[in-house]
Amino acid sequence: MSGFLVRRILQMFLALLGVSIVVFALMHLVPGDPVRVALGTRFDQDLYDALRERVGLDKPLIEQYLSWLGNAITGDLGVSFRNGQPVTTLILERLPATITLALAALFIALIVALPAGIISAVRSGSGLDYTVSAASQVGISMPDFWAGVMYILLFSLALGWLPSSGFTPFGDGPVEWARHLVLPALTIGLISGSIITRFVRSAVLEALNQDYVLTARAKGLTEWQIVRRHVLPNAWIPIVTVVGLQLGFLLGGVVVVEVIFAWPGLGRLALTAVKDRDFTVLQGAVLYIAFMFLAINLVVDIIYARLDPRVRVS
Amino acid sequence: MRKVRTRWRIVILLALLALVATACSEGDSVDVGDETTTTEAATQTTAAPGETTEAPTETTAPPESGAQVLIAAQGSEPDQLDPHMTSAYASFQVLENVYDTLVQPAADLSMEPALAESWEISDDNLTWTFQLRDGVKWHNGRDFVAGDVVYSFERIIAEGLNGWRFGAVDTITAPDDSTVVITLTQPSPNLLVSIAGFKGMAIIPEEIVTDGTIGTNPIGTGPFRFVSQSPDEGIVLEKNPDYWRASEGLPELDGIRFVQIPDAGTKLTALRTGEVHWIDAVPPQDIESLGAEDGITVGRVPGGDYHYFALNQNRAPFDDVRVRQAIAHAINREEIAEAAQFGAATANQTAIPASNVAWYYDYAPFGSGDTATAQALLDEAGVSGLTIDFLVTSDFPETVTQAQVIAAELAAVGITVEITDVDFSTWLDLQGNGEFDAFMLSWIGNIDPDDFYYAQHHSTGGFNFQGYANAEVDSLLDAARVETDQAARKALYDEAAQMIVDDASYIYLYNPDNINAWRDEVGGYATRGDNAIRFEETTLN
Repeated sequence: MSGFLVRRILQMFLALLGVSIVVFALMHLVPGDPVRVALGTRFDQDLYDALRERVGLDKPLIEQYLSWLGNAITGDLGVSFRNGQPVTTLILERLPATITLALAALFIALIVALPAGIISAVRSGSGLDYTVSAASQVGISMPDFWAGVMYILLFSLALGWLPSSGFTPFGDGPVEWARHLVLPALTIGLISGSIITRFVRSAVLEALNQDYVLTARAKGLTEWQIVRRHVLPNAWIPIVTVVGLQLGFLLGGVVVVEVIFAWPGLGRLALTAVKDRDFTVLQGAVLYIAFMFLAINLVVDIIYARLDPRVRVS
Repeated sequence: MRKVRTRWRIVILLALLALVATACSEGDSVDVGDETTTTEAATQTTAAPGETTEAPTETTAPPESGAQVLIAAQGSEPDQLDPHMTSAYASFQVLENVYDTLVQPAADLSMEPALAESWEISDDNLTWTFQLRDGVKWHNGRDFVAGDVVYSFERIIAEGLNGWRFGAVDTITAPDDSTVVITLTQPSPNLLVSIAGFKGMAIIPEEIVTDGTIGTNPIGTGPFRFVSQSPDEGIVLEKNPDYWRASEGLPELDGIRFVQIPDAGTKLTALRTGEVHWIDAVPPQDIESLGAEDGITVGRVPGGDYHYFALNQNRAPFDDVRVRQAIAHAINREEIAEAAQFGAATANQTAIPASNVAWYYDYAPFGSGDTATAQALLDEAGVSGLTIDFLVTSDFPETVTQAQVIAAELAAVGITVEITDVDFSTWLDLQGNGEFDAFMLSWIGNIDPDDFYYAQHHSTGGFNFQGYANAEVDSLLDAARVETDQAARKALYDEAAQMIVDDASYIYLYNPDNINAWRDEVGGYATRGDNAIRFEETTLN
């Protein structure tokens, strides 16, 4: 187990290294020059050269990358080209909002998806099953930019129940924190929930068709006993996989929803960095997102082994 | 039994994962706490110097409930708070209320006293002597002195984005603490606009440059003091009790909180529900409906910005003035303004808007969708089947809309417009490298005609990307730059403007209105012609 962990963590760092090289190369290949953006339309060659030198863009690419990498290993992701703020600070100060939204959305998604998916699998072919299928189809097809705007129009403007924008840290008041969280979490949670519902349904359905379920029925267990003891334990693996993917995706920031609800998350940081060609910030943000995905993958793999003794971690 | 235990382990693992995540977020709250500490430290510095007569202790705490704190919503995020280094309008919305300039544009855009109470010009027009206001204090408690002005201007010249505005300046000196003397190499009638027309020319204290905090913790002399900035709270300002207009009871507000709401629809909703008191812009299509609503005021004044496009005169056939004129005739400016701004704009064939009374020149030689004249000019030039590679950027979405309208209009004279829509950083690259047949954008915040014409149309101008070169225009612009007689100067600019328009160096489209909106609780605020956002006289009921 510990050998497995060490190997996986080493692999993770190799993957991160690869990601950083690709991102670095891509950012310098696309047109658009951060110094030009900083200068705006008022371009001046001397000023341009001076600014390039100040942020180190005048050095050869390899040198820029290696010096960035050297610092990154010690946890220093450099400073933003635009405002000189440490990238680590910029990312860290957006983590509370990002993680809050991701976990709240996932919570809503699971509350919706687990019962709906299980019920529609167990009652497969019934009216209830069709209703759940139709609802999840609507949920998946509903774009987040549309759903978000609709919730704002209904719950903020028409009913006046909830604020339309912003984030209040939990420490500044749990009620305000929750009020600001509801609409963005609902927007993402229902979409994620619809996706997860379909996975839960098919995973449970597959387990229900196994021979051991027939045996269980034959020995007189009730349907719910079968689901609890024999079906669910075997259905967990695909469910955990999709939940892990969803969580990884949410922890990377959800650009559209963050923009609509003025949510101060990582997605907006990355979006602004792309627009400004703020290479260091973008590099840091992508690295963080890749790290989150890899870390969650690792956790998912460990969970696999716990769920199913047949999966060997070595 | 074994299965049950396995299941419990999953639950524990998931719980652990959740805990780790929560722990991360709590760790970050500590970071936010650190920021607060920094702010407090800065405020303590404020109170530290002995010469501070009124220790501003009552305002060091964050505004209490019941305090009059205006919540102002901005559509984009300030990139940084160093006035000399930013070119972002969102930054200037904030900094307008923190910093002062030597003099400043009044509501009618004439220049009025600010940090300088008065000024004198020598008989040869080459020496300007500014008398500074007494008793002005920096937000950190230090006395404002003439050396601060010298330092600020030297910094802008050495490394700021606006050093070019000092082109005519020879020396800047401070003979004593309350006098600044500026000598010029040539008469410069627009000196005041050049060196104090907007907050990019702010006077700053040297200490925040030395300690490197200017980008994140600005200290000025303006009506409001910077308190904090965070992604969660936005930018928080508090009343400066030592403001040099404090005897007039200004500022009225206890503080301002700038929040950033990037989505225009959400920003409108936030104003309608009262989550914010003021918003920085209204989508043109919503102006009418919003203005009709109870409880909301839409402020709208003709602005000094102008929208234009330019054809690349280094490329055939756009080097032929007849082709450029044909295009200027074929387009319909009213239609373009209607499509892009829903009529919240005034079509104009020159740059300077009618609201700029001192410098407006009424000149409109081109038709409006005059395809017959356009076709005749194209035939004369022997051009047919022309295709234009039109460079626009969706970061300024109106340029895309306008290009689409222009494409439809030019199709009537057999010209095909191929729209190249890129993001702004790419746009700047392509423009800088001359890789376009036509590019379109707008110029903002100009007051003096030198700002409107020189850099864009002088053959040596820094922003003459379209490759315009007319020796007569050059000499007119050079002469107008140093002409101190207002009427003679106006005549020179009128003559230059006529040539620039006739030659279609830029094809001017319209001047958009400046638009803000606010709730009825807000008083004493007015939308300005230069789009500066000033809350010093604003009240909240």
